[in-house]
Amino acid sequence: MEAPKQTPTSKAGDWRSYQRVILPPVRDLHLLDVALQNGAYTALEKILKEGWERKRLVDEVKASGLRGRGGAGFSTGLKWSFMPPDKPGQPRYLACNGDESEPGTFKDRQIFEYNPHLLFEGMMMGAYGIGAHTAYLYVRGEYADYISHMERELAKAYAKGLVGKNLFGTGWDCDIVIHKGAGAYICGEESSLMESLEGKRAYPRIKPPFPAQKGLWANPTTINNVETLACVPLIVHKGASWFAGLGAPKHPGPLLYGVSGHVNRPGVYEYPTGMLLTDLIYEVCGGIRGGKKLKAVVPGGSSVPVLTAEMCEGVTMDAESMRDGGSMLGTAGVLVMDEDVDMVSFLRRTTHFYHHESCGQCTPCREGTGWLEKLVTRIDEGEGNLRDLDLLISLCDNMEGRTVCALADAAAWPVRWTVTRFRSEFEAKCKPSLVPSGFVSPETLGEAVADPGYVLSD
Amino acid sequence: MSNIHLEISPLPERNPERSFTPEQLVWTDEERARIDAYRASYPEAEAAVMRLLWMAQEKFGWLAPEVIQLVADTLGIPYAHAYGVATFYTMYFKEPKGRFVLDVCTGHSCQVCGAYDRMAHLEKTLGVHMGETTEDGQFTLQEAECLGACGTGPMLQITNGRYVHNLTDEKLDRMVATLRETGAWPFESVTLPQDEDEMQGNRRSDAEATEKAIPAPFFHSLGGHRHDAAPSHAPLHEGTEGA
Repeated sequence: MEAPKQTPTSKAGDWRSYQRVILPPVRDLHLLDVALQNGAYTALEKILKEGWERKRLVDEVKASGLRGRGGAGFSTGLKWSFMPPDKPGQPRYLACNGDESEPGTFKDRQIFEYNPHLLFEGMMMGAYGIGAHTAYLYVRGEYADYISHMERELAKAYAKGLVGKNLFGTGWDCDIVIHKGAGAYICGEESSLMESLEGKRAYPRIKPPFPAQKGLWANPTTINNVETLACVPLIVHKGASWFAGLGAPKHPGPLLYGVSGHVNRPGVYEYPTGMLLTDLIYEVCGGIRGGKKLKAVVPGGSSVPVLTAEMCEGVTMDAESMRDGGSMLGTAGVLVMDEDVDMVSFLRRTTHFYHHESCGQCTPCREGTGWLEKLVTRIDEGEGNLRDLDLLISLCDNMEGRTVCALADAAAWPVRWTVTRFRSEFEAKCKPSLVPSGFVSPETLGEAVADPGYVLSD
Repeated sequence: MSNIHLEISPLPERNPERSFTPEQLVWTDEERARIDAYRASYPEAEAAVMRLLWMAQEKFGWLAPEVIQLVADTLGIPYAHAYGVATFYTMYFKEPKGRFVLDVCTGHSCQVCGAYDRMAHLEKTLGVHMGETTEDGQFTLQEAECLGACGTGPMLQITNGRYVHNLTDEKLDRMVATLRETGAWPFESVTLPQDEDEMQGNRRSDAEATEKAIPAPFFHSLGGHRHDAAPSHAPLHEGTEGA
């Protein structure tokens, strides 16, 4: 390999010599003994033994610039500081969101599998920061294998006195409870995650009140993503300035990029934020499979707008650049598609997903996701009409922002942007129609009115 | 437009026949201890319902109404609540399934990597359609939403447990044959490390321990037999193939 040349626009800096910290290349790091040799639980020990004030930890996390890795990218330190002042007798909770059901996202599973003790430590530090003594880890039911593996490791940590009562002799207690989900995408939404933790059907709650005011069992609660909490021990270890200096200035830190689809080496890669999307695809993942051409990229889980190949140029993997580039960072689960992909069929599967996973609480989402699927299916089957494309967009207008949670938005965005950015492909699959709407005589329309079920006028 | 029609799920029967006798519907002492531990994890008993439904499903194979009733009675919550939870989540089986439930992921990453081709191959091999169970009660073939193994797609999950990665038609044939013959799943859920050079670096090497930690395959009345054989140890390290 020739000497690597620095890409001038990459915000990730010298990423080629980056040393991994969330998933370091240590064999058997998931075992407690190996993890302890590699400094697990020492950050927690440090803040407990040095008697850090809660505020100091929150300020440290704020100063690091850590932003939530679950998709929204909200400042973690700020979120922790929303917790109300202590009230005697009122418990507080930390919930860790390991539901990870967003299609194209598989980064948290790597933490469960390869470095669970970093997560346990981060959860306890998060609990310390918000004044909680119980931390719930919500893991999706599909990860049954990883749950049993984590339960075994957690039991070892309990036995060694690293989790539980009177940690490191300081009198501070913290319990970790692993909650196994049972297959519902909606549980990744924080308020329905709480409903699910309480043992109910996971219908999202109306906000406000926000979880910090009334969360689990109406007590103050903070919910953070797995990767977010796994970053907290690193911040204490290496310092907030180290973290803030890594990657994109406004969205710093290490990030797990999960790349899937038509690349030669798909997988989860840890690098600083702000990687060039093209570096990620062509250098880290070895380019497109079979030497084909890039067609489209979904850069952050199925909910975010799709990028065309031209739009990928110069975009870096951080919230700001992605927003300017016409998409969102989301969960950094990058799906790469080559030139052979049929975007209509692709969108059809995505709309099916949202229809299946809509919880059914709000009408615009319950009905809208079904309509989206029917319309896209119709177009994919060659039964669609050109007017359906505008109908899809107008349907999206009537779903976005009109429901309790953001699932309707998440369902509408991919439709809106795939139809907008790949319109010619959709048009090619539609039946030929001379006019989009209005009063037209049957002679003018000719074959286009062959479908008697289609109503012409508005 | 005639072929574009989504099925509406039929309502459950009002008075279904019982699949389990009252003598079957009891917890052992060891299970009771686990239940107490789960209850103690939460401030309210209701929160343990999901764990208990999982336990019940592992024990009885599927959640018949009387099984849900048992869970509700154990926790002292209304039947309707437990039934509501059981029906909300897709991984709880509300009807009998085959001995092995093959959840083929067709989420968008697997889709573009050919999940539907693998699904079609399985349909042909097993002689059933998606969503159906084979006549001998061995296999149920299902479509699953994204299972979170997008980098190793297309993939499938066997009965809410093991992941099988990087599916090819040959691999599926081998898997089906092994499951049929030995009744065990010789696959690890270990995923790919970041770099191929580090195959021996950041790897989990406790596959054996994991095997023991996994409960025996779920079973139920449809096949009529209980499968108690311990899963055999993996001759194939499926997770590391085909990077």
